[in-house]
Amino acid sequence: MRDSAIEPVGIVGLGAFGTALANVVATRGGRALLQGDDAATVAGVNEKRRNERRLPGVQLARGVRATTSIAELARETRLVVLAVPSTRAADVARLLGDVLDGRHLVVHAVGAFAGDRRLSEVIRAETCVKRIGALAGPALAPDLAEKRPSAMVVASPFDEVVAVARAALGAPPTLRVYGTRDLAGVELASAFSGALTVALGLADGLGVGAGPRAVLVTRAVAESARLGAAAGADEKTFHGLAGLGNLLVRSSSASSERSADYQAGLALARGEARRDTEGLRASRSAFLLARRLGVRVPIFEALHAVTWEGIPVDRAAARIVESAAAEE
Amino acid sequence: MAKAVRPVKEAENRLIAFNQERDALCAEVKRRVMAARLAAAARGADQSLEYVLNDAAFHEIRRLESGLAASAEKKRLGDWRELARKLGTMPETEKRDRMEALVGEYCADVVGNFNERVYRFAKGVLPAVLAGVLTPQRLTEGISGMGDLPGKVVIDGPAEQLRACADRGTLVFVPTHSSNMDSVVFGWALDRIGLPPVTYGAGKNLFSNRFISYFMHNLGAYRVDRRLRHALYKDVLKEYSAVLLERGYHSLFFPGGTRSRSGGVERKLKLGLLGTALSAYQQGIRAGAPQRRIYVVPATINYAITLEAETLIDDYLAEEGKARYIIEDDEFSSLGRLYDFTRRILALDESVCIRFGSPLDPFGNAVGEGGESLDARGRELDPSRYVTDRDGIVLDDGQRDAEYTRGLAEEIVRAYRGLTVLMPTHLLARALFDRVTEKQRTRDVYRLLRLHTELEVPIETVRADIARLRDTLARRPELGGILPRYAAMQPGDLVNEALWAFGAYHSRPVAEREGERVVVRHLRLLTYYQNRTAHIGAADLDATQAQASETGAVA
Repeated sequence: MRDSAIEPVGIVGLGAFGTALANVVATRGGRALLQGDDAATVAGVNEKRRNERRLPGVQLARGVRATTSIAELARETRLVVLAVPSTRAADVARLLGDVLDGRHLVVHAVGAFAGDRRLSEVIRAETCVKRIGALAGPALAPDLAEKRPSAMVVASPFDEVVAVARAALGAPPTLRVYGTRDLAGVELASAFSGALTVALGLADGLGVGAGPRAVLVTRAVAESARLGAAAGADEKTFHGLAGLGNLLVRSSSASSERSADYQAGLALARGEARRDTEGLRASRSAFLLARRLGVRVPIFEALHAVTWEGIPVDRAAARIVESAAAEE
Repeated sequence: MAKAVRPVKEAENRLIAFNQERDALCAEVKRRVMAARLAAAARGADQSLEYVLNDAAFHEIRRLESGLAASAEKKRLGDWRELARKLGTMPETEKRDRMEALVGEYCADVVGNFNERVYRFAKGVLPAVLAGVLTPQRLTEGISGMGDLPGKVVIDGPAEQLRACADRGTLVFVPTHSSNMDSVVFGWALDRIGLPPVTYGAGKNLFSNRFISYFMHNLGAYRVDRRLRHALYKDVLKEYSAVLLERGYHSLFFPGGTRSRSGGVERKLKLGLLGTALSAYQQGIRAGAPQRRIYVVPATINYAITLEAETLIDDYLAEEGKARYIIEDDEFSSLGRLYDFTRRILALDESVCIRFGSPLDPFGNAVGEGGESLDARGRELDPSRYVTDRDGIVLDDGQRDAEYTRGLAEEIVRAYRGLTVLMPTHLLARALFDRVTEKQRTRDVYRLLRLHTELEVPIETVRADIARLRDTLARRPELGGILPRYAAMQPGDLVNEALWAFGAYHSRPVAEREGERVVVRHLRLLTYYQNRTAHIGAADLDATQAQASETGAVA
């Protein structure tokens, strides 16, 4: 058990993942301070040691505390993990900007774009914080809660951020945290995997079969890596936890029912209207980025054609299968 | 927070005290370099004294054997070879002594001087200094021939804010670099807007002209020998820069390293010297003075025509030029050429423009009117928090600092683009280059150079393209700007201004008008001048075109 006198980890967001992560930290002997607006959830965490609304049935360890006060979070913690939906990220970053200072380290676990921007860009625009990182990977809240072996990657060009985050959040075997300097890569890989999850949902909805599905997964990751490299990231990152890892878990049968992106893909296969999900928004961002950088991305283009241009699915799919195979 | 009222006055010239401090500065630099090297040596492996001395010996032997070194220097070859031979068995104390002697030698070679009498003299007769001619007869000719210097050189920027920052902390000017005229022109501009003279690292090759050397040596320049590539020499340079900043000496250096060979605005900066701004700031905190700030000031120096353009672009394009890192012999080293250039460029109105940007702190944050650091939303922040713990103690972390400096460099590069002032010469060069490469279906300059066809563009097309470029800049100020007198000019007049300037100085005109077409006469120089606009993409111009079509359709 670790010394509980060390600084607590601040986690912004009272969702399932944030709560589960706080519990992992506290179970290992550390302390975590959750922050959110929902006073009832905050009271439930502090008094009953439960977050019944978002992580039902899980008894939280003693080291987990919650507060509605963002100022208290800033005062008490140095490492701040942002675990909120991408639609709220800019607003939350703006609030953090009022209370954080240059001493703080901010690591976001928002695996999507905020508008057309990566989350690190949003945090830089809304706060004075420079030491920024991203946490991503196929660690699901139920797995963390049940202490099933999980892994994530933390990325930052600042070695200090990676070291502090790994020390604070890592709790093997429940959660192993790998490190990398490729912040842009982890952010892009994570966001693209949301878009590609939609593509997999679409493919499964059309009943493509195991072989073509495997081809789609493999080529989608390759395309993602090519686009990421053109944008300045490291290709290897896309084959790791933030890219392939995220894609596999988001489209797996265990989590697909929960995954809004996967469900959006299934809906498209049924001929339904486009839904507003993080992955679909990311698919548009990826398409526009590829066009700006002059990168060939048949899968992203086909997805964009179906979701944003109204092209029939069979015609879009034909474009992919008919595209020439180059060197792998 | 109440805004502090700052009196507008000429900023203090701190260089006056420099000469009294010279020896102390040298001693401090030597102490720090030795302390750092000895501490690193305690960790062993490739940080050992033997390794560092061997690195120096290796580089120096290679340089002295290469044939480019002066014969006086080659006498040292024997000493270096002897050192390399004996290192393996040399006692530690002797290694330390040898290193200390080398560091002392480098300090003495680097350190500058400031002579206030020379400074006042230079301020008063700058036209002659610019001309690089100082025989009594030429002096008179020079002054009378220059006309009204302030009318020729445009200076733009937040002067009052910079003066306020000069009072509160130390300024580090980091301008773009395209000509050896830059430090002289920039020094003059600083004086014009009430900013103090600066100390700056000038390439040692600039001191080869005895006359210019006299002035540079006595105006605060310190000597940087770019031929010396080894780590120990770079340690001395970096520590010297840091100590100067800590002691409050306003400074100048060119973070691009050397003059832009291509003519383009710098996109990649050298981080070594830039990082001394942050280390000086941290030292201030350690010394109990966290309010003593360091301000990094981006600036651009923009010429309608560049003195050394032909040599620079040839060097850039020549394959063997990549190894020729230092150009010893170019237009600047010829006094006659220098005088001729100065006379011609100053005959053009507003042919030189220096644009100062808003200052940044060592972390790349914007700085407010009173010198306070601001976040992206304009809120004041305490920059010491980036490097201290809860108790205000500085935490050492070289990797962290390198990342902060990288962030600062990104902000400087972004500022350069917006501060770039394009002259008619650049606009015309870009218009011609785009049309020529479109017609020849290649942007590969080497292929274009092998063509035997005349490269020409109809005058109407040139005028329209220049208008589009100008409109793009008006719409997108973050890509640069043009001077008000050119913004108001008809495109045809801009073409004429550019053609006249192109024909006024270079060995042959860059382009010429022949009836209803403009013919390219010097493709290499055309490339040089168009490269200044390289950060403006085709998509930026297309967007202007699209907007113009839309507006036209609505009308």
